[in-house]
Parts: sequence; C-alpha cells; structure tokens
Amino acid sequence: MAGAIELENVWKSFEVRQGTARRHVLRGVNARITPGDHVGILGRNGAGKSTLLRILAGVERPTRGRVRRDLSMSWPIGGNYGIQSSLTGAANARFIARLYGTPLKRTEEFVEDFAELGPYFREPVRTYSSGMSSRLLMALSFAVNFDCYLVDEALSTGDARFANKCREVLDTRRAHAAMIIVSHNALHVKKYCKTAAILRNGMLEFYEDVDEAIAAYQGL
Amino acid sequence: MIEDIPRRLPSSALSAQIRVIGALFTREMLTRFGSGRAGYIWLFGEPMLLALMISSIHWARRESLPNGLPTFLFYALSYLPFMMFRTIVNRSANGIQANISLLFHRSISLTDVMVARSVLEMMICAAVITIFITVAMVFFGEYPHQPAVFIAGLLMSALLGHGFGMLLAALQVFYEPVERIVHPFTYILMPISATFYMVDMMPSETREFLLWNPLVHVHELNRWAQFGDRTVPHYDIPYVLTWILALNILGLAGLRAARSRLSIMGE
Repeated sequence: MAGAIELENVWKSFEVRQGTARRHVLRGVNARITPGDHVGILGRNGAGKSTLLRILAGVERPTRGRVRRDLSMSWPIGGNYGIQSSLTGAANARFIARLYGTPLKRTEEFVEDFAELGPYFREPVRTYSSGMSSRLLMALSFAVNFDCYLVDEALSTGDARFANKCREVLDTRRAHAAMIIVSHNALHVKKYCKTAAILRNGMLEFYEDVDEAIAAYQGL
Repeated sequence: MIEDIPRRLPSSALSAQIRVIGALFTREMLTRFGSGRAGYIWLFGEPMLLALMISSIHWARRESLPNGLPTFLFYALSYLPFMMFRTIVNRSANGIQANISLLFHRSISLTDVMVARSVLEMMICAAVITIFITVAMVFFGEYPHQPAVFIAGLLMSALLGHGFGMLLAALQVFYEPVERIVHPFTYILMPISATFYMVDMMPSETREFLLWNPLVHVHELNRWAQFGDRTVPHYDIPYVLTWILALNILGLAGLRAARSRLSIMGE
C-alpha cells in the first residue's frame, strides 16, 4: 500500500468582508504524510487549523499550491462533522455504512461494540455527553477501512483506556493506517502521536520528536 | 473484534453515486419522520382545507364550474401539483444550511443533497395525491382521464421545483437575504399559476400574460389529464421543458459555483 498525502506550497486566502484585502490563512504549507505516520498538528486558536483540516480532508481547495492524496482519507472526525445529531448512534452508523459502502449490519455491530455507548447507542446523538460523542465519532470512522484518519480534537475527552483502544486499532492496521490529529492541546498530541508539527504564521514546521515540538509550542 | 474491520465493497462510479444519494435519502426520511407527525397531517390538511374553503365560497355564491366539473375535486386536484412544486422549492432552498455538516464527507456533493431532498418530497406529495385520487374514484366516481399524462405533469412540476430550488439555494450562498424572499415568492406564484381557475376562463390579454408562467401550462395539462374534455386546456410542453432545462442547468451551475464559497461560512 504505497501512497502518501502531499501538500506542496499550499496557500489559502479568504476575502475580507470589508475592503479588497485578502487574509492569508495558510502561506505555503508543505507536508508529506505516509502510511503508519501518527502526526499531531499543534496550533493556537485562529492559526488556521480548521482550514488546514478541510484542505487535508479534500472538502476545500487551496488558493494556490498542490494537494496529492493517494491514501483514502477519513472525513474530519470531531465537532459532530458529518453526522446528524437528531438521529441515533445506530442510525448514524447505518448512514456511514451506506455512504461508504460497508456492510450495513456488520458496520452497526462494529460501531456499537467499539463506542461502548450501551443503551445510548439507540438514543439521539444530541443527548450524548462530549465523551460519548467522541467515542461514537471514532467508532464511526474506524468502521471504515480508511488509510488515514483525520482527527479534529475529537479525542479530547477520551479517557486513557479508550485512547489505548484507538491506538490499538491504528496499530493493527499499521501496515497502512496513518493518523493526523489537529489540536491546540499539547497533551492530546503527546498521547496519540509519534511526530508533531506546529502551525504558525500560516506555515507548518515539523519536529521529529513530539516532546521537542511541545516544548517549542509551549514556548510560543 | 478490532481487527475485523468492515471492508468497503468495490463499486463503480455510477453505483457509488446512487449509493450516496440513497444514504442521504434514507437520512432525510428519518429526520423528517422523526420530527413529529404534525407535518404529515398538515400535508393532507392544507389542500383539503383550501379546496373546502373555495368550494364553500362557490356554494354560497351559487356558482358552479363549467361543464359540470366537480367543485371540491377540481380545486383539490388543481392545487396539489402546485403544492408539490412549492414544497420542493422550499425544501431545496434551505437544503444547504440544513446539510452543511454533511459536506465534510468528500463524496457528498450539493447536488446529491438536493436530489435526495427533492425525490423524498416528490414521493411524499405523490402519496398525498394518490390518496386524493383514490377518494375521487371511490366516493365520487371520478376516474383520471389520462393517468400517464397526469404523472408526466407531476414530474414536470417536480423538475421545475427542483431546478428553481437549486438556483435559490445557490443564490443564498452569494446573497443571504434571498432566503427571506423564497416563501413570499412561492405565495405570489399561487394566484398567477392557474391554480384555482382555468386559463380558458380568463380574457385573452390575461391568458397571454399567464402563459408566460411555465407552471400554468403544467396545471392546465394536469387538469385535462384528470377531467378530460370538460376542460379546455392551454399548454405548450416544449415551452415547459425549456424552462425545466434552463432552471436545472442554472441551478447546477449555481451550486457548483457556491461550493467553493461555502467553507467561508462553514464551521
């Protein structure tokens, strides 16, 4: 399973409501994520994390630069993106199964088992606590065999045991599963990632070592 | 358990497309049914009430329709195709806002969302219409004159609504206040769409004016398909098809253009 996600000099700018100026959120991001990578992307609020996330997910195009996506990428996991909170966990599992073409019953069983929601699995998602929501979201995305999982601070409320379980899933798919976590919280990145990068001034700096990245991030 | 991951089954581009729309359709259905049954009662209640009201005005004024057309059924079956058009327009017009979080799935396009919504709305309205026609047959002995033409007419209503709704949805992305004019606009359309009268009842200058509106042609066709030669229909099918084509092409182009602007407003 060769392949990678490559960002080459990616720029993203938005029109500013007043005036003709453009605000540059990303100013030449370069990145290469290959199978087995667990990368944490750290950034302060407003650093452009969500924009980068949408570009990585392929739901938004860069203003300039290139994105090459040879891996199948999950939708961004977090913030109830891509699910319907008026529907039950089970109905959302069936929706994801239909959408991504996985077997219906099998997918529902997998999500029920993985998310450990008990009777809440049959309740509307809007009644879930944030921890339950993130367990459901992780389960929904793990229910599809993507090559790369894109996580948007969804694991923030997952306890250590659940974090281990997520790692275990990624490890069993080590041959090809990669994960990118976008977060403002250094602790989450430390918990899940092998390498890290900092998004600052619209650019991405990669660090080989997570601790080094965190030190640099906290020094900001 | 964890190693036993559900696998995606390989599929062609076309079947993948159908699968996506199918998933959205099922989801729309669940959210619509889930949000209380009152809306469904109203779907029957609204045309029923309108038809009853106009029939009773007729009765009070001792008026009757030409050629012994049945008053209640005439108004009910004239209004229903318009109702289908209007619901499809209204549902499509706010389709983007209601589904914005789904756009985080790369495989879902705005068009998929719109198609799923319109098909569901069309099926719901078709079910209501079927019930009205069944009642007409069983209790009033009114059988549709040309059922196939009636179905084609309904399809044209739906396609006009779908194209127009997509266009309005796209325009809202560029200019938000469009949202506010959707409802008033569909209300204004009602009296000028030959919903409660036949074009033939009008003076000729009015006829010419009315026949600019493609919905008038559809409603005239539908009435003829239902009541046969008791009506004198005025319609031009190629004219309607031109409108359908134009609205749908504009709608699709609009959605395409809207897609790249959307994220600015997204979460």
